[in-house]
Amino acid sequence: MRIRLLFILMTICAGGAAGAADLHRITLPPPTVSLKEGAGVYVVRRYCSICHSLDYITTQPKFPKAKWQAEVAKMIKVYGAPIPEESVKVISDYIAAYYGTGS
Amino acid sequence: MHLPGITRRDFLKAVGVTTAMAATGTLPPVLYAGERRLETYPEKADLLLLTARPPQLETPLKYFKELITPNEALFVRWHLANIPTSVDLATWRLVVHGEVENALSLTLDDLKRFEKIEYTAVIQCAGNGRSFFDPPVFGGQWLNGAMGNVTWSGVRLRDVLKRAGIKAGAQEVIFKGLDNPPLPTVPGFAKSLALDKAQEDEIMIAYEMNGRELPLLNGYPVRLVVPGWYATYWVKSLSDMEVAARPFEGFWKKSAYRIPDTACGCVEPGSTPAKTVPITRMTTRSLLINPQDGSRLKAGRPIELMGVAFSGGYGIKEVSVSVNGGQDWRPARLGKDLGRHSWVQWYYPMKPQKAGSYDVRVRAVNSIGESQPLDSLWNPAGYLWNKIERNTLIVV
Repeated sequence: MRIRLLFILMTICAGGAAGAADLHRITLPPPTVSLKEGAGVYVVRRYCSICHSLDYITTQPKFPKAKWQAEVAKMIKVYGAPIPEESVKVISDYIAAYYGTGS
Repeated sequence: MHLPGITRRDFLKAVGVTTAMAATGTLPPVLYAGERRLETYPEKADLLLLTARPPQLETPLKYFKELITPNEALFVRWHLANIPTSVDLATWRLVVHGEVENALSLTLDDLKRFEKIEYTAVIQCAGNGRSFFDPPVFGGQWLNGAMGNVTWSGVRLRDVLKRAGIKAGAQEVIFKGLDNPPLPTVPGFAKSLALDKAQEDEIMIAYEMNGRELPLLNGYPVRLVVPGWYATYWVKSLSDMEVAARPFEGFWKKSAYRIPDTACGCVEPGSTPAKTVPITRMTTRSLLINPQDGSRLKAGRPIELMGVAFSGGYGIKEVSVSVNGGQDWRPARLGKDLGRHSWVQWYYPMKPQKAGSYDVRVRAVNSIGESQPLDSLWNPAGYLWNKIERNTLIVV
């Protein structure tokens, strides 16, 4: 009985060790970017960060509002982003004002 | 202040941020277009952060002084937020299914029992250099660090397909990895190769980079290697291969990674192409790596310029250097040849006598005569960047 228990314990330990050797794991650092405060920033944070970190916005070149509107529309049409229609303007206005050419 | 590993151009952009961090000891502030910050991700060296979720990290140019890019320094580019952060080899399988005689489910050990092959090849993101496009375009704003030269080891895709037995009438192989979309409406990442291409001798399922396992962020445990073609085909954390009877029609082929269907893959800047085709083979490129753009040199002191040159699978025949803005070109000396898919290092002696600003340009020609354009070529997605770069060296 004792020997059998020992055998079971050894098997579990060996299995555990093998399992650890087979597992390759990393932990990603969390996104650190924070958007500038301004009208609409909560809407941008809420919807845009569903699919990607907000540095996807801040690292883009400065584009006019019309370009950002088209980009937000693409997020909805092509990628199915659940952004309500009334928020499209809020989002593109905010990005154009704070990270684009303003108009 | 010394910031190793970033170019002067990076430095000018990063220095304000770094100073602010040092002064306040707080989290780094918002980064604007073109700004970069060095970040250390798991199994990676300090790389230039583009985005965090999913991670996109760029290699500082200093690493390209070496013929082989270290695993830790290779750029990182994922498309979809749900990237694999753990892989258990006890349960991981590479499956082959579809139009095959025998569907396969291979462990990594199974895979390693196929004949091992090895070669050195440049891996480069299709959007490398996108940040230089004028007018600018949406997408990852890479400088020139979305590339690297790596010795890949693994098995031939062809051998694995042969084991599965391809049925008559099959046309393409569709590749998927362990990454998943953040929403069910976002198209999962997948790429395909026509069966002829997939069965070329060199297409590899790689399980080693430079003799070691792949970092998870570069596609552990195995990734596809399609030498000569842009990295969009080099599917990371490859787990699923489907042999299909019909051409793949997925988003990442039908809508994304496409270039204008013109001889140069370019259109009038700012315009929309009438017709597009999938991007495939890399254009010819050459870069000055050391001294970096913007460096200061001493008049009368000889210096050796060095850099890298590569092309889409045809090897580099010659590299020429001009130190006077393209008026005179002289051949550079080429370094060790590691084969047609590797980049070659070039060297050029320079002894600037007079103080002033030197416009240094480099131009490569591959073995089938392909070279680089003087002026930038433009396309809406920001691909194929390979113009002759203009570097400034200041002699004092």
